[in-house]
Amino acid sequence: MNKLAAKLRVGPESSHRARLIPVGGGKGGVGKSFIVANLAASLARMGHRVVAVDGDLEGANLHTCVGIPRPRASLADFVAQREEDLGKLILDTPIPNLQLIAATDGNLATPQPTQSRRVRLMRELRELDADFVFFDLGAGTHAAVMDYFMIGDDGVIVIVPEPTSVENAYGFVRAAFYRRLRLAMASHNMRKIVTIAMDQRNERGIRTPLELLREIQRLDPAEGTRFVETMRAFRPRLVINDVRTAEDIRLGFSIQGVCRKFFGIEAEYLGYVNHDESVHRSVRAMRPLVDAYPRSDAAVYLSRIARKLLADGAASRSREGSI
Amino acid sequence: MKPLFEQNHYEILETHPAATREEIERAYRLALATYTDDSLAGYSVFAEGDAAALRERIEAAYRVLSDSRMRSEYDATLQVDRQEGPLPAEPSAPLVPVESATGGGPLPRQMSEFAHLDDGTGDFDGERLRHFRIRCGMEIEEIARVTKVSPTYLRFIEEERFADLPDSVYVRGFVTAYANCVGLDGNDVVASYMKRFDKGRGTRREGRFFDNR
Repeated sequence: MNKLAAKLRVGPESSHRARLIPVGGGKGGVGKSFIVANLAASLARMGHRVVAVDGDLEGANLHTCVGIPRPRASLADFVAQREEDLGKLILDTPIPNLQLIAATDGNLATPQPTQSRRVRLMRELRELDADFVFFDLGAGTHAAVMDYFMIGDDGVIVIVPEPTSVENAYGFVRAAFYRRLRLAMASHNMRKIVTIAMDQRNERGIRTPLELLREIQRLDPAEGTRFVETMRAFRPRLVINDVRTAEDIRLGFSIQGVCRKFFGIEAEYLGYVNHDESVHRSVRAMRPLVDAYPRSDAAVYLSRIARKLLADGAASRSREGSI
Repeated sequence: MKPLFEQNHYEILETHPAATREEIERAYRLALATYTDDSLAGYSVFAEGDAAALRERIEAAYRVLSDSRMRSEYDATLQVDRQEGPLPAEPSAPLVPVESATGGGPLPRQMSEFAHLDDGTGDFDGERLRHFRIRCGMEIEEIARVTKVSPTYLRFIEEERFADLPDSVYVRGFVTAYANCVGLDGNDVVASYMKRFDKGRGTRREGRFFDNR
């Protein structure tokens, strides 16, 4: 693991750019903040400098998960333009190497940043002085959430084995993909067709990305090629949280298969976290599980996922270098 | 990245033309579990009849691929198709390559998919063995049938109830058989598992579910 860590730092492009990992999932209450807090704490415990950023201005609680009940600075200060330097909002947590940007005390009237502010935020996130920046997204598939999801290289989607969560996760994957696709299309007409397809009851009867691809390939082969490239580059990563049975574990593979067959999208099954009573105890203690109960079952699975992220990052960096 | 009606038998089963019999078997089991009418993974995606239509395709694919003669005949026709039809969207050279674990083919392998979840390090403990078994879609009883090891002992192996298992010579054999059955290298697994076994026999078993801080 240390070798990997060294590789991450020494590479030619090991500049100061942090690896940005947005974590979403569409549905609330599936454990996004719990997962973020624990993956961040896992990597911090391995010696990486990590900043966990709460992006949920209307339901902030990442600060609670990492043991800061009353943050004295918040992303809300950046949104309200009281603070221009995102780095100044960073707070230390009780865990060495792990820092936080909280999202408490938002303006209830206008909690969400304006479009231009959002763009600035995304730029600033990249500039943070850290090895890893986790960005905890709010629920839903609002435009702001989807934009945040796309800035990262390794968007993670958290799912629990329940129909409500699975439904929203597919909605999330679809929304993220179509948004990215619309940006990739060069011609106005093709963008318009993507927008039409985003309406689930569109009159052209386009139900899935694959059907849309056929339509676009027919109309404009060059755009079809761009479509395929976008499709290949889009690789949402799945984490199944709170699994209790073998069937729950298999759900990740099944969703992967369904994404491939029905959407033509390659999702990656990053791992699962099993149901564990110590999770509840760690949340009550306001400490990440990997810190409070590092030997618990769930903590072991969480750190496996963290190591997986680390290995993937090393691979993708060396790839960047070779291009 | 082809629409369903254009997918060949391998793609339908989410496996690859070089798949072994065991891989085909595993892929088939996973596909069947995914495309039931009340499948959780298909919830909100499958339209009326989608799952049933897919099951038919899956059964047809399995019928051919599980029979070595039919399979080689089918492979021959596949070759012809490849030369004729342009396949632009084959993800054989993805921008983001499949994990290096087992190399990238057109489609991720079933076992390499498991390797995603398993970081490939650490002991082969009972828990890890169990996950490999689940990944293969096998019940304890099926392993027992193949290995002729009693399901009770197989369960003890997974639960690491070392005290309830027979002498280490026997356990060695059981674990090897189990490992081979779920597609692991028996030697690797035995070396790792027996270390735990010997340690566990010597001392009281560590609590799995309680933090002992």
